[in-house]
Amino acid sequence: MLLPLDMMRAGEHAEVAEVAGDPAWVGRLAELGLREGARLCVVQPGTPCLLQVANGRLCLRGSECSQILVRPLCGAE
Amino acid sequence: MTPLPLTVALVGNPNAGKSTLFNALSGLRQHVGNYPGVTVELKKGLATIDGRAVEFIDLPGTYSLAARSPDEMVAVDLLLGRRPEEKRPDAILAIVDASNLERHLYLTTQLMELGVPVVLAVNMVDVAAKQGIGVDIEKLSQSTGLPVVAIQANAGIGLDKLKAAILAAAGTPPPSRPPLPEAIERETESLANELNGSVPTFLARRLLLDIGGYAESWLTTKHGPALAAKLEAARLRLIGSGHPIPAAEAKARYAWIRQVASVAVRKPSQRPVTRTDRLDKVLTHKVWGTLVFLAIMFVVFQAIFVFASIPMDAIKEGFKKIGDGIESVMTPGPLRALLVDGVVAGVGGVVVFLPQILFLFAFIAILEDCGYMARAAFLMDKIMSRCGLSGKSFIPLLSSVACAIPGVMATRVIENRRDRLATILVAPLMSCSARLPVYGLLIGAFLTKDRPFWLPGLALFGMYLIGFVVAPLVALLLKRTLLKGETPVFVMELPQYKRPAIRAIVRRMLEAGWAFLRRAGTLILASMILIWALLYFPNTDASGAKYDAKLAEIAEQAETAEDDAKESLEKQANELRGEWKRNSLLGQFGRSLEPVFRPLGWDWKIGVAALASFPAREVIVGTLGILYDQGDVDEEKEEQLQDEIKARWTEEPERGRYAVPTAFSVMVFFALCCQCVSTLAVIRRETKSWAWPAFTFAYMTALAYIAALVVFQVGRLLVDGGA
Repeated sequence: MLLPLDMMRAGEHAEVAEVAGDPAWVGRLAELGLREGARLCVVQPGTPCLLQVANGRLCLRGSECSQILVRPLCGAE
Repeated sequence: MTPLPLTVALVGNPNAGKSTLFNALSGLRQHVGNYPGVTVELKKGLATIDGRAVEFIDLPGTYSLAARSPDEMVAVDLLLGRRPEEKRPDAILAIVDASNLERHLYLTTQLMELGVPVVLAVNMVDVAAKQGIGVDIEKLSQSTGLPVVAIQANAGIGLDKLKAAILAAAGTPPPSRPPLPEAIERETESLANELNGSVPTFLARRLLLDIGGYAESWLTTKHGPALAAKLEAARLRLIGSGHPIPAAEAKARYAWIRQVASVAVRKPSQRPVTRTDRLDKVLTHKVWGTLVFLAIMFVVFQAIFVFASIPMDAIKEGFKKIGDGIESVMTPGPLRALLVDGVVAGVGGVVVFLPQILFLFAFIAILEDCGYMARAAFLMDKIMSRCGLSGKSFIPLLSSVACAIPGVMATRVIENRRDRLATILVAPLMSCSARLPVYGLLIGAFLTKDRPFWLPGLALFGMYLIGFVVAPLVALLLKRTLLKGETPVFVMELPQYKRPAIRAIVRRMLEAGWAFLRRAGTLILASMILIWALLYFPNTDASGAKYDAKLAEIAEQAETAEDDAKESLEKQANELRGEWKRNSLLGQFGRSLEPVFRPLGWDWKIGVAALASFPAREVIVGTLGILYDQGDVDEEKEEQLQDEIKARWTEEPERGRYAVPTAFSVMVFFALCCQCVSTLAVIRRETKSWAWPAFTFAYMTALAYIAALVVFQVGRLLVDGGA
């Protein structure tokens, strides 16, 4: 089951399935570690939202989160 | 002959601890390099390792070498040896964060393609260890093929090993680079051939991989549509062969990184809850986080006002002594007046605010160094996005609270051009440290003595709030009109919290203080002397007698006179001084403009001081000092300009009654105007056009006038209503 990232709730874990949108933006996110196959945890949903990606924290806006499709994972990674 | 110093470029992600390492390696022997055509400044530091001179260059923190702008391109060009003013680095020192190694190695994989030896410094191994993350340095070195050293830059641990590794690496063959898919290598090669080897393969690769990047716009402009068509075709072929960019690049690099990390990095199966997680629960919370943020801001401003007053008093005293000393050894005349009233009093009046500036920069450095600044940007993003900006604009705007000049320069982190321009145009609205002298003077004069202890802090907080409120509103207006366009995407990293490094903070403070003093010493001093001259000359009354000679005569009489005669002589001298200033060149000009100032509650003196402060806001303090004869009269020598202004205003019917509204009118004017030549020059430099600084000056002056008008008129009604 794939979900847009902005529909995830606080504390939920997921694996990134697809990052859509402007190539420059997709490239930028990849540099920051947010890419296909990356695991993340939603620290704070909303806009802007706070994500734990690997051992780093990123913040993005809700409108951009909807361009990222994730596969929710049960429990912790 | 001594050999040329080795050149070592420091490269790393933001927050990897790069600046700390740079300072630890190069000590105090640092200077700043400028590059023509771009706005980037790079710090360089010289060190001696084992008798060999080594020059370190601190490149701006970056997540990748995929340059998007000419500024980002400087780092890439420098690393490739394509900047005429720098030789190609002999080695690259790549610094990575041990606790987030995979992400940081992404940049390293690109650095390994440059054809220069790379030394990998794994920083913050102690922080990683606390989180249960272990990095096996030997295995990492084997799997990456790079010399690797574990360090703790903030504690200076591992630096000797690192220095030895740098010396050993210089001159060795470059590392073999992590492979990219065969299809990408092929297309890169054919593009490089297309360019006839005019650019290194590295740039041909960036041309291929960075859609809309700097290499693309630069090279397709240079080589015309034929290249653009070839590039388009190559990218389509990559999609066809299952390597769509930019995903293919990221995939290949992370595949290599995963392989490396699986050998060298040991991680707990479940990520432990870190101190950062716990702190963020509160500090990024919508309600608690915002409250903490506001509380921090209030404490900062109250502390600046209260604690800074101790060294400020000492400085005042010191300059007074210098002035007295000169006066006692020189005969009266234009030269003595120039030295005492123009130079010493003028520079003293500016230097006195150095403690406040140092305090403010200390707070900003602490907040930035401990990682809180990004949280502030996160908290502020929602508000900033409402005015069409992003949380990223918040840091430049907050830096503008110290000084708009670094603030305007800090807008370089904003990738979107319209966002950047909007931020530059509103940055001077933020209450910079040059306004502190104005606020400090007037709040000290009218809102400190016999008032509740919290009032000065609150008033100062209010003045700062003006900038925080008006700047976003103007930005919104600009984004809706002049700078219309689609909203850009926004992503930002929040670094881990760490204990701020005292040395880094002290360094930031000293740099800021020195920059301020240098401005005080040159630009401000020049304008102070000009203003002094405009107020001193013509120095003759209607009958042709010299004012200063007449004043000296009266002073001589007063020395021998009886007590009651003294009083009338005093009065006579004061009247003479007033006449002198009124008849001066600037006084005449200011008086002719008095109808313009009157609705603001200003007299011609305030008007003249405001006019005189065009070069820099803080000049108003020195000018008011001259206009109010601070130090001219013996009994008042110990008194401060504040008491002088307060006393003078009380004497006048208009300003005596409406002293507080007038003070606020002046403060609000200075909160919103753009009386700062340096800011305008920096805006010109960053926008590469005179139109934007001209626009900034015009709109801010208009805004300042209207706001001061409203403040005074409303204040007057309140005073009359309350009476």
